[in-house]
Amino acid sequence: MVHMSTNAKLGVGIGLRAPHVVQVLATRPAIGWLEVHAENYMGEGAPLAALERLRADYPVSVHGVGLSLGSAEALNNRHLSRLQRLITRLEPALVSEHLSWSIAGGIYLNHLLPLPYTEETLAIVAQHVTHTQEVLQCRLFIENPSSYLRFAHSAIPEPEFLGELVRRTGCGLLCDVNNIYVSCCNLGGDPVAYLDALPARAVGEIHLAGYAVNDADGQAILIDDHGAPVSDAVWALYGHALARFGPVPTLIEWDTNIPELAVLCAEAHTAERCMQRAEEAGYAGVA
Amino acid sequence: MPALRELQSAFLRAMFGPDEPELLEAIAGDGLLPAARLQIYRHHVLTSLTDVLQATFPVVCRLVDERFFRYAADAYIRQYPPAAPCLFEYGAHLPAFLAAFPPCRHLEYLADVARLEWAMNTALHAEVCASLDPAELGGLAPHDVAQLTFQFDPSVTLLDSPWPIDQIWRVHQTDEEMHAPVDLNAGGVSLEIRRWEDDVGFRRLDPAMYAFRTTLATGHPLAMAAEAALAVSQEFDCVAALHELLTDGVVIGCTR
Repeated sequence: MVHMSTNAKLGVGIGLRAPHVVQVLATRPAIGWLEVHAENYMGEGAPLAALERLRADYPVSVHGVGLSLGSAEALNNRHLSRLQRLITRLEPALVSEHLSWSIAGGIYLNHLLPLPYTEETLAIVAQHVTHTQEVLQCRLFIENPSSYLRFAHSAIPEPEFLGELVRRTGCGLLCDVNNIYVSCCNLGGDPVAYLDALPARAVGEIHLAGYAVNDADGQAILIDDHGAPVSDAVWALYGHALARFGPVPTLIEWDTNIPELAVLCAEAHTAERCMQRAEEAGYAGVA
Repeated sequence: MPALRELQSAFLRAMFGPDEPELLEAIAGDGLLPAARLQIYRHHVLTSLTDVLQATFPVVCRLVDERFFRYAADAYIRQYPPAAPCLFEYGAHLPAFLAAFPPCRHLEYLADVARLEWAMNTALHAEVCASLDPAELGGLAPHDVAQLTFQFDPSVTLLDSPWPIDQIWRVHQTDEEMHAPVDLNAGGVSLEIRRWEDDVGFRRLDPAMYAFRTTLATGHPLAMAAEAALAVSQEFDCVAALHELLTDGVVIGCTR
């Protein structure tokens, strides 16, 4: 079972990626916690063995990317039981997944694909989240996606959809501040209003990352590639998120053009300073 | 408004095929053509899966150059899209696909290099098992020894090729333009690929030893493996081969 009471002390962590594993093992940098993608550790052998060694020194968070909670078809039971085995083995501080889909007709598309926000989708996602929490015996934190399109028949605003999901399933939220910024730029929307519309008490983790700017038919589109430093606009939003949600465990993610470990640690220290400033200001937004 | 299942089926088809009018109608433009928005997802799906294959088959990629690799990977992904989210398991069919892919059929060694890289990937993620304790075989009568079968460590692949694929693999460990030349007429190899301690690697087996171990690895008894090895070479030393089998960590269990 996941013990939430200790999570407030986690502070800032980094997403552990393969090129850094050896260095983290050797140098044990001063980082609050580590998050891994569940799917990279579902095999046996060296990757899992290294993670089990790190687990002795760092709290670990397991972040799933392949469960496809938003698929209209049934969840992949083999995948869910592999996730369950990993969680039993690692006893993570946090377990999270996404508000998205990636499997249709048994084919895995390796992308967090967008959902129409309708009553039908809400019922399906809520059923899958409830089932997953029962199987995993822990609270699941659901991450808001970065989006490049919305469906014309989407009737429910995304933060309200997430709030209703929390109400129906008891899940928590993983608030990806960069995703909010990217989606609002790409689809229109006010990122501050988005943050304000989330149920604050449900937010148990924050993600921060960088994005790329691409040109699509002459219009700038932000691509959530996790391949750059956190942008100034996202740092500002993060300050707002901390004021509203409190000192929520925060993660720096970097997945493409992966830099030296020191660069990630420097980003993590910037986030720590934001947390300290928010603490001094007294988390005005927390009831 | 399409039901979620139909919408996702249409989206799936669009990732590997042309835009369909019903799907485009379901997408809000928000100042951009729906097709341009859909293309962002299609691009990411194909490039991210190509990146996965490139990470698993780096030497194959260097042998054909990155542009051609990405072209071949695109065709592969459309024919064999992943069936599960653990992508370190994706790419099992790439060697056979490359062997039959007309634009690279003249590179006869390419599919075997791909088999070698797939075997190394398999070894990396295979379950860690304790080796067989040779003491378990103490006191067996000669007839019982002859009928023994062995369970190999799950990291092991035995692979032979008419090409010196181990040499090709070694000289293509970097992205350098000028690799040391490999004599493609140097003859074939028989390889054992597996995990040694924490590292994945491979070594050459002589043809008789290769016959011995492949016969055992396919579940046949020791007597048959010895016959297969002796058929390759009259010089084969069965006692030494059994001793090595029991002490080099390649087997994890046996059945009397």
